[in-house]
Amino acid sequence: MTDTFENIEIGATVGGAPFAVTRQTIRDFCDGSLDYNPLHLDDDYMKGSFGKTQFGGVIMHGMTNFGLLTRMLTDWAYPRGAVQRRLETRWLAPVRPGDTITAKGHVTAKRKTEKSRWLLIDVEIRNQQGQQIARGEAMVEFPPS
Amino acid sequence: MSAEFETDFWKDAKSRKVWDEIVPGEPRKTIPYLLTLEAIHAYCRSVGDLHPLYFDEAYAKASPYKGLIAPPAIHILLMFACTPADDWMRSPGTINAGQSWSYNIPARPGDTITLQARALDKFIKKDRLFAVHDNVFFNQHGQVICAGRGQTIRPV
Repeated sequence: MTDTFENIEIGATVGGAPFAVTRQTIRDFCDGSLDYNPLHLDDDYMKGSFGKTQFGGVIMHGMTNFGLLTRMLTDWAYPRGAVQRRLETRWLAPVRPGDTITAKGHVTAKRKTEKSRWLLIDVEIRNQQGQQIARGEAMVEFPPS
Repeated sequence: MSAEFETDFWKDAKSRKVWDEIVPGEPRKTIPYLLTLEAIHAYCRSVGDLHPLYFDEAYAKASPYKGLIAPPAIHILLMFACTPADDWMRSPGTINAGQSWSYNIPARPGDTITLQARALDKFIKKDRLFAVHDNVFFNQHGQVICAGRGQTIRPV
């Protein structure tokens, strides 16, 4: 890996792998996260309304977005000797079985502090229609060697 | 995962605090949790994250981490593992609106994880009831693993 903090350019991209969402992947996330909220399991419950919102069927856990963004960031950071230090996200739209979602990011800023070096990375997830369903910002540290 | 974890979130629904009863600043009940390699792997597989730092002991030992670790986002699992069945985060219909987390050191298989957690704020916006939760996870040595906060829309 030739990327170092010094030669990473503002605008450099970070890419994640497409993730095909199914009822089984949602169920697997229930077991992996221990989050068994009926939002993710119970079609009858999801036929109801949630205030002003109607989902019409089960939806993926919002935190799956968080896990996929983390996977993208760590896959990028580890080989460069860097460490994911922060991730902030907002969910913009629900994800349903049958959707395929993909994470990506780009470097927006570099900063040296008294004892370390940092990158800011804007991150997002889009579905197969190109709709942005999550966005946020990450901070990656390049500890001094 | 603990064999006694209740996966029916309706079962204790009546014992959980509703939005009106959530007191910002008041600590939530938490329970220590032994983080197993099996639980780490179940989480990792659920997001397709098969990095050898989580799965390959020889690779992990030769890395700067000197052994297997959990991915940063393991707090997704720990949030439910370290809270009891009557915690309001399990109320059916709880909708996650977003989260922010900062990471210090990785959790590792065999760690006993503890959580300090509370509601930090609650508010009404666009006719929806929001609660802000604030959380810090520690390992058995008292070291901070990660700290974060999130917003949920509360069920009505």
